[in-house]
Amino acid sequence: MDNLELLSEYTLFLKEEKQKGKKVVAFISHDNIPEELLDAAGFIPLRLMFAGNDELMDASHDYLSPSTCAFAQSCIGLFSTKPNHFRFLDLVDYFIVSNHCVSDICASEIISKYFNIPRLNFYLSYTKNENSLKYFKFELLDFKDQLEKIIGIEIKNEALMDSIKKYNNFKKKLLEFNNLNIRGSEKLRILQKAILYGPIFLPELESYTLKFSENQIQNSKDLKDVIITGCSVFLNDYLIELIEEAGGNVISFDTWIGNNYYYQIFEETVINLTKNPFDLLVRRFENNLYGDHSVPNFLENKVSQIEKICQNYLEKTGKKLRIINHIIKFCDHISLMSAYLKEQLQEKGFPVLNLERDYSRANRGQLSTRIEAFLEMV
Amino acid sequence: MSLMADEIVRFSSLLRIAFNLLTGRDYLKRKKFREKKKLISVALPFSDIVYGFPDLVPVFPIRTHVFKMHKYLQYLGSGANIFGWKNVSNFLGFLKNLGIGDINKIIDEIIDNVIDAVNEKYNEMYDIGIENGIPSDFCYGIKSLYGMHVSKGKNYDAILNYTIRCSAWNKYHESLKTINNTSKQIWIDIPPRNVGDALELLVNNLYDGISELEKISGNTYDSNILRNHFKVANEIRRSYKSILYEISTSDFYPCNPATFSEILVILNNSFQDYNSNAIRYRDNMTALVHEIKERIRNKIGMDVSNMPRILITPMFGGWEPKTHEIIYELGGRALYADWDVLLLLEDIPIEKISDPVEAYAHYLMNATTNGIGCDNNTLTDSYFRIAEKLNVDGLIFIQLFGCHSVSNCYPMLKEKIRRELEIPSMALTFNKIGENVEQVKTRLGAFMEMFR
Ligand code: SF4
Ligand code: SF4
Repeated sequence: MDNLELLSEYTLFLKEEKQKGKKVVAFISHDNIPEELLDAAGFIPLRLMFAGNDELMDASHDYLSPSTCAFAQSCIGLFSTKPNHFRFLDLVDYFIVSNHCVSDICASEIISKYFNIPRLNFYLSYTKNENSLKYFKFELLDFKDQLEKIIGIEIKNEALMDSIKKYNNFKKKLLEFNNLNIRGSEKLRILQKAILYGPIFLPELESYTLKFSENQIQNSKDLKDVIITGCSVFLNDYLIELIEEAGGNVISFDTWIGNNYYYQIFEETVINLTKNPFDLLVRRFENNLYGDHSVPNFLENKVSQIEKICQNYLEKTGKKLRIINHIIKFCDHISLMSAYLKEQLQEKGFPVLNLERDYSRANRGQLSTRIEAFLEMV
Repeated sequence: MSLMADEIVRFSSLLRIAFNLLTGRDYLKRKKFREKKKLISVALPFSDIVYGFPDLVPVFPIRTHVFKMHKYLQYLGSGANIFGWKNVSNFLGFLKNLGIGDINKIIDEIIDNVIDAVNEKYNEMYDIGIENGIPSDFCYGIKSLYGMHVSKGKNYDAILNYTIRCSAWNKYHESLKTINNTSKQIWIDIPPRNVGDALELLVNNLYDGISELEKISGNTYDSNILRNHFKVANEIRRSYKSILYEISTSDFYPCNPATFSEILVILNNSFQDYNSNAIRYRDNMTALVHEIKERIRNKIGMDVSNMPRILITPMFGGWEPKTHEIIYELGGRALYADWDVLLLLEDIPIEKISDPVEAYAHYLMNATTNGIGCDNNTLTDSYFRIAEKLNVDGLIFIQLFGCHSVSNCYPMLKEKIRRELEIPSMALTFNKIGENVEQVKTRLGAFMEMFR
């Protein structure tokens, strides 16, 4: 199934859900948005996780400056041009404005304001300490209030706990799938679809896991194994193709549509021992050490995390991982730290390519050359 | 009083502010090595809690650099060292001895030169920032601030970081950790919104920051010292506002409007750390207001009633400093009021709240929620509020290359200003000082045509 088919299928799914009376809440796809609360309140969470192109980026320039990240630009472009396969965006009832980064705020605010989609707010502190955890809880409670005002009834703790369990289980299955040794493009395709649909995709995910576990790559000697860190590879992006065309194989997606999502799971015992579901959500925020939002330890946490992944991989397979740091142009979080991330990992002997790009077609040739040269050289 | 004497009197306080700004390095060296005080790097006007510790000195990092200083300002400085700044006749005698005729011109030149000297240094630091790993995609302010820490960061005992809504800003602070032998970082998180007991958390965060400062200082925090500083800080704010709202909106200026704009630029720069000495700064600000008012009362200066008022904003992250001069040549007067846009010129409410830390938390929360805002809607309203308050005839919005935060306000602001104030506005892009002055001239030429 190609992506266009997926989008049409997703449109049908959303339409059906809407007919059942469900409301759709969209948000720009990073980490930390409590989708379990949306689920517990009966909403369909819709992650904007779609890559851009020239037209989408251009269409955003009426609303913000072109020196905004290409992903945020494209999110606006999607609402402004509503390409055929994205008609499902007409079904969005609410939009979350959040401060994962300031481009997230600006783009979400613009989408809500200019495309007349009522807004919900969910903000986070930048630091991570006892007080920011308390603040996170205030935001959760405020978010709950905002949702309750819409649905007119209380969101019960039991319902939230059920949603947490549901998502937790789903993430565990995603992690299981992620651990299969299959082609990166195949893996990403399923992961993207699963994360787009959410836990409802679980039966399909399980059958994919079963199917692919019998068809894992047996001899990957000739493949150059890659970990992608930095910004996500979103739906409709050609990046993964370029890597595979250059002889690479992505074995780990260390991004929002990847590790950041399905590594954030709770042990059963933790769930069972925690009475207040909000505490679980706070705990997850606390444990999200590798997310790019927080300061001041993102860089050192990220370096040690990647180092660990690479070392484990070497021990397990005898192969060295190449690191591609995917930087969507003008991304505050990933771009600002990129030179230092590269320097620190290279000092430890890990090869890194800082791959900066926007979504323009003209970029493709250059990206391909850089990826080839990097994989060749290592 | 002779005209010559009068010309000097009008700005002796400003010259002191400018002198203190440019000679920061010597002053700070003295503080650090002779008086054994500790330097704390601060940026944006967030220096206040450092003043709670008399042995800590807040420094906006550009001030640890050596500037090329106009020779007359140097003479004035030397003269002041010999005769004392307050002794204006000695000043004059000193200048007369130099055989200088056109004092007016010299004063303008000196002030102009202060801006040039600071900006030249900013550009130098910008290049160092890029050479040391900040991608060129980031805003001018971040690149140059990083450069300042690379080049003189070792002088600081700590860097005080407040988180704000700009992610690039917060990440920039983290990135300072990559500099070799970098100083200790103290973080104070300002909650993005005032939900739940966010204000109480901010109070706690400030207290945590204070206890970090205590460790550096070796002294215990004393609320009386901080309260007294806030009184001084509020007086500074009132003087600043008086210059902004009483003087800049009036039809008669104490000098030509380009020089007046430069005064506003110097205040904008020096307000961030009060030139490392709040009491001295307060006294200079009070004197400046007095001098300006005296001059206006004596009808000495310039009638500017037919010159359109143009608000230029935001400029704190970087802007082309020739802008106000060009506007003046085109018949207008440029105003800068960034800190009040962000509500950082509001009083710290120590009259109403007895705990100074709590009072400061209220001040910061107000600036965050109502000034800077957690989104561009609020920020747009803030720009709008100041445009209205200053009763401006036009607005120039600096669209800073690489700024993904405030710069993205312009489309909303333009619409609101056109609809509700019915005045023209224009966006000017900016990347680096001096990079496209010709283009700025052309664009401003077209803009100012609208007022003819
Ligand atoms: S700047 Fe980075 S983190 Fe922010 S929306 Fe863009 S890609 Fe995401
Ligand atoms: S708001 Fe803009 S100018 Fe200010 S630090 Fe952030 S990016 Fe730079």
